[in-house]
This record gives sequence, structure tokens and C-alpha cells, in this order.
Amino acid sequence: MKTTFSIGGIHPNDSKISKDCKIEVLPLPAKVFVSMAQHLGAPATPKVSVGDKVLAGQVIAEPAGFISAFVHSPVSGTVKSIGPRKDIAGNNMTHIEIDVEGDEWAEGIDLSDTLVTEIPQDNKAILDKIKACGVVGLGGATFPTHVKLCPPPGKKAECLILNGAECEPYLTSDYRIMLERSKEIIVGAAIMKQVLGGCRTVIGIEENKPEAIRVMNESLAALQKTAKGYDGIEVMSLKKKYPQGGEKQLIDAVMKRQVKSMGLPIDVGAVVQNVATSLAVYEAVQKNKPLVTNTLTITGDCLPVEKQHNYLFRIGMPLSYIAECAGGVPEAAAKIVSGGPMMGKAIANLDAATVKGSSSLLYLTEEQTRRNAESACIRCGKCADACPMGLEPFLLNKYARNGMMEELEENAIQDCIECGCCLYSCPANIPLLDVIRIAKGDVIRIIRGRAAAAKK
Amino acid sequence: MTQTIIWTIAIISVLGAVLAVVLYLVAKKFKVEEDPRIDQVEKVLPGANCGGCGQAGCHAFAQHCVESPDLGGCFCPVGGNDVMQKVAGVLGLQVEAKEPMVAVVRCNGSCENRPRTNEYGGYASCRVKASLYSGDTGCSFGCLGCGDCVSVCKFGAIVMDPESGLPVVDEEKCTACGACAKACPKGVIELRNKGRRNMRVFVSCINKDKGGVARKACKAACIGCGKCAKVCPFGAITVENNLAYIDFNKCKLCKKCVAECPTGAIHAVNFPVIPAKPAAPAAAAPKPAAPAATAPAAAPKPAPAAAPAPSEKAAPATEPVKKEE
Amino acid sequence: MRDVVIALLPAVVVSVLFYGWHELLVLGVSVASCVLLEFLITKYLLKKACTVGDWSAVITGVLLALNLPASTPWWVVFIGAVVAIGVAKMTFGGLGQNLFNPAIAGRVFLLISFPTYMTDWTRTTGFIGGGIDAFSGATPLGLVKEGGVAATQTMDYLDMLFLNIGGSAGELSAIAIIVGFIYLLARKVIKPWITLSILGTVAVFSAIFWGINPEQYTDPVFNLLTGGILLGSVFMATDYVTSPMSNLGGVIFGVGIGLLTMLIRYFGAYPEGMSFAILIMNSTVPLINKYCHSKKYGR
Repeated sequence: MKTTFSIGGIHPNDSKISKDCKIEVLPLPAKVFVSMAQHLGAPATPKVSVGDKVLAGQVIAEPAGFISAFVHSPVSGTVKSIGPRKDIAGNNMTHIEIDVEGDEWAEGIDLSDTLVTEIPQDNKAILDKIKACGVVGLGGATFPTHVKLCPPPGKKAECLILNGAECEPYLTSDYRIMLERSKEIIVGAAIMKQVLGGCRTVIGIEENKPEAIRVMNESLAALQKTAKGYDGIEVMSLKKKYPQGGEKQLIDAVMKRQVKSMGLPIDVGAVVQNVATSLAVYEAVQKNKPLVTNTLTITGDCLPVEKQHNYLFRIGMPLSYIAECAGGVPEAAAKIVSGGPMMGKAIANLDAATVKGSSSLLYLTEEQTRRNAESACIRCGKCADACPMGLEPFLLNKYARNGMMEELEENAIQDCIECGCCLYSCPANIPLLDVIRIAKGDVIRIIRGRAAAAKK
Repeated sequence: MTQTIIWTIAIISVLGAVLAVVLYLVAKKFKVEEDPRIDQVEKVLPGANCGGCGQAGCHAFAQHCVESPDLGGCFCPVGGNDVMQKVAGVLGLQVEAKEPMVAVVRCNGSCENRPRTNEYGGYASCRVKASLYSGDTGCSFGCLGCGDCVSVCKFGAIVMDPESGLPVVDEEKCTACGACAKACPKGVIELRNKGRRNMRVFVSCINKDKGGVARKACKAACIGCGKCAKVCPFGAITVENNLAYIDFNKCKLCKKCVAECPTGAIHAVNFPVIPAKPAAPAAAAPKPAAPAATAPAAAPKPAPAAAPAPSEKAAPATEPVKKEE
Repeated sequence: MRDVVIALLPAVVVSVLFYGWHELLVLGVSVASCVLLEFLITKYLLKKACTVGDWSAVITGVLLALNLPASTPWWVVFIGAVVAIGVAKMTFGGLGQNLFNPAIAGRVFLLISFPTYMTDWTRTTGFIGGGIDAFSGATPLGLVKEGGVAATQTMDYLDMLFLNIGGSAGELSAIAIIVGFIYLLARKVIKPWITLSILGTVAVFSAIFWGINPEQYTDPVFNLLTGGILLGSVFMATDYVTSPMSNLGGVIFGVGIGLLTMLIRYFGAYPEGMSFAILIMNSTVPLINKYCHSKKYGR
């Protein structure tokens, strides 16, 4: 029985053109720029000075708060400068510039391909290692993983969901690692499962990736035969529907439970981690390797298939360098997006450096990105049907444009997950998401302000 | 026939009388007691309901005035001192005159000065644009050009100049209600002292990037060189985070800084036109023959460096409204 | 919205074939005047972007024409279009803002203002079935109003399913409208709930009364096939702008229309009740929308 989330959703063309491109390792550039804001929460604090020699995998910045993460040097070389540099949105962020010299790794990091299936027993040590290796969620939000793996007191994880849905069109990096690094991913899952107290573990994969489902099932069976700690893990095939990979949607699909408004997944006993995060956890715990690499897809309709790639990149490589490695930006590209076409961000500055969560360079043509003129809302309700949170975007749009905050809150604007289904489905080209996103921020600020006032 | 008419008239009359009594009783029962002075105060207010005073509208402001013991903190920016005098008259109180203010656009990033680095295709709203990225130019501080300030202005006092892509404030119409300053997500617009004879000197830039970066993004950016602060005889200029700021409470409109600024980021507006002298005292930079001061209607347009004028005195007494995001 | 026009085509074709040039004239005048009025009003009165390109005026025109007898004079059709577009649509602010379905508002205005023209079901010469031309008569529902249930005995339901004897163009062929309904459903233009709840309510309501007294009340099949029930429930009640958003709201709306229609038919002065029922329920849509919301995640 294939399953999916219960409310709304849309079916965009999945356009996984680059799905058969094997993961290639990118050569090292002359210099890298490591951003201090590679995770949700406070930017990390640099711990090296200009002129310092650093090795790949060495800590160069420390977390600046509870929700923050370590940053490691992705290369060996000399720190050239520490200062503001523009990120992909063009905003200033502190970057550490490192001149690449050779490729020497810090001590204790296992760079071999040998699969380590035996899971250490000390959960505290595992968590410390995940934290020390700077692992963050690679599904998009880059939330520090060790925080997510420590449920608050009184709450217990009942189900660990591994997100292999990759519901965004075009993206294939998760698909590729599921094919090429399936065993590592499953070991990572088993590690997290153990940390969470041995709960049920489900790897959710959309049915449009039958190959990934097959490979993951085979690897799982092989591991269950040869090693301990792999029972209670299953691969679940999910119907293809966007946004299947949304945390709340995935919980609904797998567990048939819904997270309350403003609640956290752990409230219903769920912990959701991306498959790429699982791989990072494996490398951190079993190989002692910090999170300095990730997989990125270069794709787009205007890019010939032979120029499409799935690359293993080091964080800090400028996007423009990666684009050059793939043969340059195609002429027909009108917009370059980091992330998928639904929720990704347009890149304002191609010289920006990659970060831990970078997942794609997607070239979109003028035709694909053009916004048509807005016309009147005829209340057709397509947005309400598409909204996976069951909201009524047309109503929120109306209230938001008139600044009606109370009505917005009553109609649950704060539950919006910004998936873009409403904008996608609107026949009148109304910029629903743009308007709603802003108003949602305002409403959440009001709710937080009220909660803070209530505490006093 | 006649009977029908008589009956009709009778029934309608009785019905009218009964309903009148009902209405009277209901009005009596649900009467809202309100200080009659609130209505009187509201009558002298402009009635624009702009909210510039910080209240929900003119009625709320009138209520606020009546409840306030000495009109402290009550000011109608639209009506200005005249209206406040009238309000004080109605309430039998005294108010102090407030220096008139005006909205000033502190960005000089016209299409010419600040080349576009990308094209924004999203929803044309500054707030939306600012939430998505730094903007379609190299400067991540300046005007985004979608006109949020224009749409919030209740007085039609601000329009977008299609040529420069920047908003232009009509000083005659601007009431300094501050709606535009609040609406601007970048905090480009500041309420500044209107100045003697509308003459003002201000830094038309809020770029906090380092000099080189700022200069690369925009020809007319403040590069934080500090020359203006050094030349200012009144200590009105501070340079912080690579950005100069002129305190209009201290500025005496001597315009020394205007001549000194290497990028022309400091603007002087509404100064009387002085014919360009061949040997201008301070500045060595070649000056265009164009008049230094533009016409009053087009206030914060780029005005090239002007010859220093004799120092003027100005004594405003309000805090600048600075908005951070 | 082009899909709605496509879905209306079978009904249009059948009515033109059956009523001939007269029907073509009514259709032409109706569509042309609706589009022209929409253009003139948006451009010169409201001074905003012209909305002719979105096909909504065309739909209004076609629906209005299908609701009128083929013998309606052109100037009556034009007045209907003025009321539909000028009064019912544009005074509320144009597309997306109107409270009442424009075509029905136009039709009801004409029905009240020009009852003679609106109930003159003269059979004009058609392109097919020319054998019985110049047949002058009332609609099946009109016959029942005048002659009681006994009048239905002369009618063949199978005939009605394919071609009615008398009535406005839209009432002519149930099959043509059902084909359009299936097309709209297949293209996911409309959801079936409003239509089905109207039809269901009409069927249940008339079944109950017919069961109690078949001498006085008409039977369900007759009620479903006659009058504007099908045209109204498929094309007019499902108008996005004037119908509720949520599925639950749609069902409430549909049940309301069904009940009102049958009350008017059984107990009212008019033989037909669909237009009035839809107009009355249109006015309740804001209220329904306020209380019927979609099911939200996690609530």
C-alpha cells in the first residue's frame, strides 16, 4: 500500500534529468570562502586568524549559541582573510578565505571507503561526535542535527523518519547518494535510531525512484543479515506528490499523525532527518569526518544532458567555480536557483560560496521563470485545494494585503510551510506566497511577542 | 375607498409612533457616554486618519488629547503647530511649538550611479524584495525602488522618479507623518528637520560597506572617508560603520562638508542659487555649472557640490527618526 | 475559463440546430453585447486593465442566451446583457467581486420585466426536426402549472433526455449538458459536489412529495429533466465567484438551491425556480464562506 500525506499537494513534472549522472568529485579550487552562517541559528565565531595554516577537517569556527554549529576547514592551506563577503542573496556574511595548498587532512579522519557497520554503544559520545563534526540537517533547513537528536525531557521519539522523498523537481543529489552510498545511509540511520532509544525507523522514498527503493531495500537486507542493530528499519514507498519531503507532510504520510500548529515533530513522537544528513552522521561517527562535503546537482532544461552533473563538492567552493567546472552557465539560463524550483532561492550572486546545505545549481530559462501579470481572484479555490496545510491562501492573501493580523492568525497563516503550492496552482498568477510569507513573519512575531509578554 | 385610505394612514401613524418610542428607548439604553470635547477636538484635526500621530486615527487622537493632562507627546504631524494650537485652545491648554519635519530619501542610487547587477522578477513590493535578497544592485543598503513608500503615503507626497528609480518627496505635501519611513524595509527614509527656509544638508546614503565595496556598487555612495567630519566646524557629523551621519540638530548649514565629499553623497537642497565663482574657497574639485540647489518641489534630487554659503543658524529640538530593520 | 465555453458547446450546438437562426441571433447578440459592455466599462468607466481576454464575459453571454427563448427580440437580449454585465458584475467591481451570478441576474431581470417575451415558447424553425415547426406551446413545467400533473402524461422522458419539446435553449437537451458536466469534471474545472447536491436534493424532495401524493406533485425524474435544473446546477451554481469555496460549503449551497427550487416549483407562482434559488443562495455565500473552512493540518 503506497501512502502519502492527507491534505492538498500538487504534481509538478519531476524533471529528474540528471538522475543517471554518477556523483563526481570536484577538483579543488585555488581558494575557498567558508561562510559562518551554514546552519540555522547564530552564525559561528571564527577561531583562526589571518595567516594561520589549517588542515582539511580542522575546526575553524565554533558555535555561538545553543542552536549553532561547528565549522571546519574544507581544505588545507592558509587563512588569507576573515571578513564580510556577499552570500547568494547578496547580503554580507563573515567568510573565512583560505588559500588552498595541497590536500592534507587533520589527524584521526578516516578517508577510506571501508564500510564500518559496527555501531558504538556510547550514545553520549555519538552525540558529541555529531556535534563536533558540525553536522546539520541537509534537507534544507540546516538545523543542527545533535539538537534534533536530543528530544526535550518528557518527550520520546517513537519513529525516526529518513527523508528520501526528494519531492522537488530536478534535484537528484539525494537520489544519487541513495544509489551509491546506500549502506552508509542505513548505518547512519541505525546510529540515530540507537541514539533515539531504538525507535521504529522508516526510510521514505517517493515511488518515482524505484531504483533507489530497490537498492536501499537490498542494502538493508544485506546489513540486517551481517550486523546487529539494523532491525526495525524499513523502506517505505510513498506516492509521488509535492511536498512529500516537507517534515509535517512526511510525518502525516508515514505515521498518520499531524503535528499541532506551532508544534514540533517530537510532540507526536517523530524525528525527521534527510538521507544526506544520515550520510553525514555516518561519516562523523564512524569515520570521524566532519561535514565539509555534500552532493550538489547541476541541472536545468536548458543544459544538455552531458553537461548535467551530480558533484561531491567541498563547502566554500564558489558557485561560479562549480559552474565553470561543469562547462559554464548556459546562455539560455535566465535565472539560477540554489535548491529546487519550488522552494529554492534565486542566486543573486554567483560568486557566493557553497555552504553545507547547498543542493543544486538549477538553470531556469526565461520562459520558466517569467511571472505573468496578476489578474483578479475568482475564488476558484485551487490554492486551497493545493495547500498541504489545509490553509486558504486566497483568504490569507486578502487579509494580508489589508493588514488584518487577527484574521490572519485565526486562519492559521503561521502554519504555512512556504512550499509554494498555492503560487504554483493559481490561474490568476497572484503572488500568494510572496504576500503570505511576509504576513506570516509578522503574525509569528506577534504570537512570540505575546508569549514573551505572558511569561513576564 | 376612503375607508382604506383612512385605515392606511392610521395604521402607518400608529406604527410610526410605536417605533419612535422604541427607537428612543433603545437610544437611551445604549447611549455611549463620550466627552463632548473629543468631538470638538476632532473637528479641528485634518481628518486624514493617517496614523502619523501614533494613534489609530483622528478620533483616537482626539480622545488621546482630551485624556492627556498637558498634551505632552501629542502631536499631529499633518496639521502641525497650527492645529496643535487650536487643539490646545479647545482644551484650554498650552503647547510648545514643534520644529516642522520632512521625509528625506537618503539614497542616491539612481540607475546611473548604481548599475543593476541582476533583474528582480518577483512581486513588486520592497518588503517582499528585501525578504528575498539584497536587491538588484551591488548595494545591499539602498533604495529597492518598488515604491512601498509611495503606496503608504496618504497625501500623495511621494512619487517614484522613473528616470532615477528613486522616490521623490514633495515637500509641500509632505506632512512628516512618518508612514514612508516605517514602510521602507531598508530604512532609507528619515524624518529630518525641515530647516530654515527649507534648506537642508544631509548624507544621501546609508551604505555601511567598506569604502571600496560601497564605491564599486554605487558612484555616489558614502565611503566613510571622514573628510566631512573633519571639516565640520560644529561637530555635527559622525562617521560610524563606514557611514557619515549629519545630526540636523547641530548642523548650521555651512555646507563645508558638501564641498569636501569626494563622491557627492552629501546633498544640500533649497539653498539660494549663487553664481559659480571662478575661485571657490575650499573645494578643489571641478564644479559643474549647474545650480547647486534644485527647485523646492524636487527636493532630494542629486545636487552636485555647491559653494559654501555663510553659516546659518538652526535650532530644532527633535530626535531623528532612524529606522533599523 | 475557456474550458467552460468548450463544455457549453454541446448545449449551444443542440439549441442552434433545434431553434435555428433565431437562436443564433440571440446567442450572437448576447455574447457580443456582453463582451462589448465588459470592454467599454472596464476601459472607460472603471479605467482599469481590460478583462475581456479571460472569457468570463463570453460565458455570461452564452449562459444568458441559453436561458432565453429563441424568439426573444434582440433588444430584450441586449437589456439582459446590460443588467448582467453592467449591473450584476461591474458595479460590484468586476470579475471576482460580484455577489450574484451575472447571467442569472440578467435573466431574472428580464423574466420580471418582460414576462410576455420570456414565456413565449414559440417553436421557431430549426435546422432539424422541421416537421413540427411553428409549434407554439409552453414548457413542460408551464404545462404542469396550468394543467396539473396530468399534463405530464403526454410527455416522454426519453424525449426530454435528448430533446425537450419546449423551453429555453438550455433546457432543451439534458444529454448535451451532462456531456459538458463530464468534460468539466474531467478537466478538473469544477468539483461535483455543488451539482450533485442540487440534483440529489431535488430528487429526494420531489420523491417525498410525489410519494405522498402523485396526483398533485410531479415525479423526481420529471423534475430533474425539466427546467433549468441541469443547466443551472452544472454551469451557473458552480460559478467560482458566486459559490462557496469549501466542499462542505458547496454541499450546503447546493442543498439550499435544491430546496428553494422545489419549494418555488411546488408552491410558488412561477413554474420554474432555479434562477431565483441560485440568486437567493448566492447572497448566502459570504456567510457560508465565513463558517465553512477547509480542514487544516494538525487542527
